Amino acid sequence: MSHSITVKEKYPPGDFAIWIIIYVELVTFGLLFLGYAFSRRADVALFNASQLLLDQTSGFINTLILITSSYFVVKAVKSITSMDDTDAKDANIKASRHLLFALALGVSFLLIKMFEFYHIFGAGITLSTNKFYMFYIMLTGFHFMHVMLGSFILFVMYKKTKEIGYGFGDYRGIETGASYWHMVDLLWIVLFPLVYIIR
Amino acid sequence: MQKHLEYIWATLALLTLFAFLLGYLKLISTFFIAVLLGTTFIKGQLVIDYFMGLNSVAMRYRIIPTLWLGIVLTLIGVAYYLPLTASQ
Repeated sequence: MSHSITVKEKYPPGDFAIWIIIYVELVTFGLLFLGYAFSRRADVALFNASQLLLDQTSGFINTLILITSSYFVVKAVKSITSMDDTDAKDANIKASRHLLFALALGVSFLLIKMFEFYHIFGAGITLSTNKFYMFYIMLTGFHFMHVMLGSFILFVMYKKTKEIGYGFGDYRGIETGASYWHMVDLLWIVLFPLVYIIR
Repeated sequence: MQKHLEYIWATLALLTLFAFLLGYLKLISTFFIAVLLGTTFIKGQLVIDYFMGLNSVAMRYRIIPTLWLGIVLTLIGVAYYLPLTASQ
């Protein structure tokens, strides 16, 4: 009779400090999500009417973009963590290809979001227009800044793979950056239905 | 494992398409809000487990984002159901 025992890692992947940041970010965004949801109760008609001006299609495309980008980041991390001490060059080249796709998708997200902001601000909408837009601009603007930082981190990781900078056993950096990027993805997964779909 | 990852991505994409279609076809109702929040939980948990890689980590680290996701989505549900029930 054979037994298979799955040994769990003691700590999450990457630097432990990033997980403190991730947990704090989750709580911060969680409070904003709940602020939106409970504020909506006070004026459902206003929230529903204001939501009509949002482009659900671009929200949908941006969700697909972030999910796909996260997928490529996982592939990049796997390329690095599964290398042995003889194929560092191949692993870095593979990872750089995946990271480039992930980065391109991150930039696409930013461009689509900027277009959306341009449309919203062009219509004369600001933070003080009404409560819905205050939350919309705050939530998506705050998330936008996280995508910008995440894209910069992806770029730094991409540059390092291009320089064959990750060696055997040296994957803490790429795991740390990847964890941050997945958090950005996780936040958008909740934000998309909350702000764009539920009415 | 690589194929496994592709299945995760495809599930996430399909659930996202489902959410979009609910909004696009204006099928949002009290029932579908519950379904939407349920599928959002599944999507979030897939990201936590397979993208963040927390399914292979000690439970105390995995449970934090899972609890966060569950509590936030439940309270969003509470916030949306209360006025709907009151007005019907």
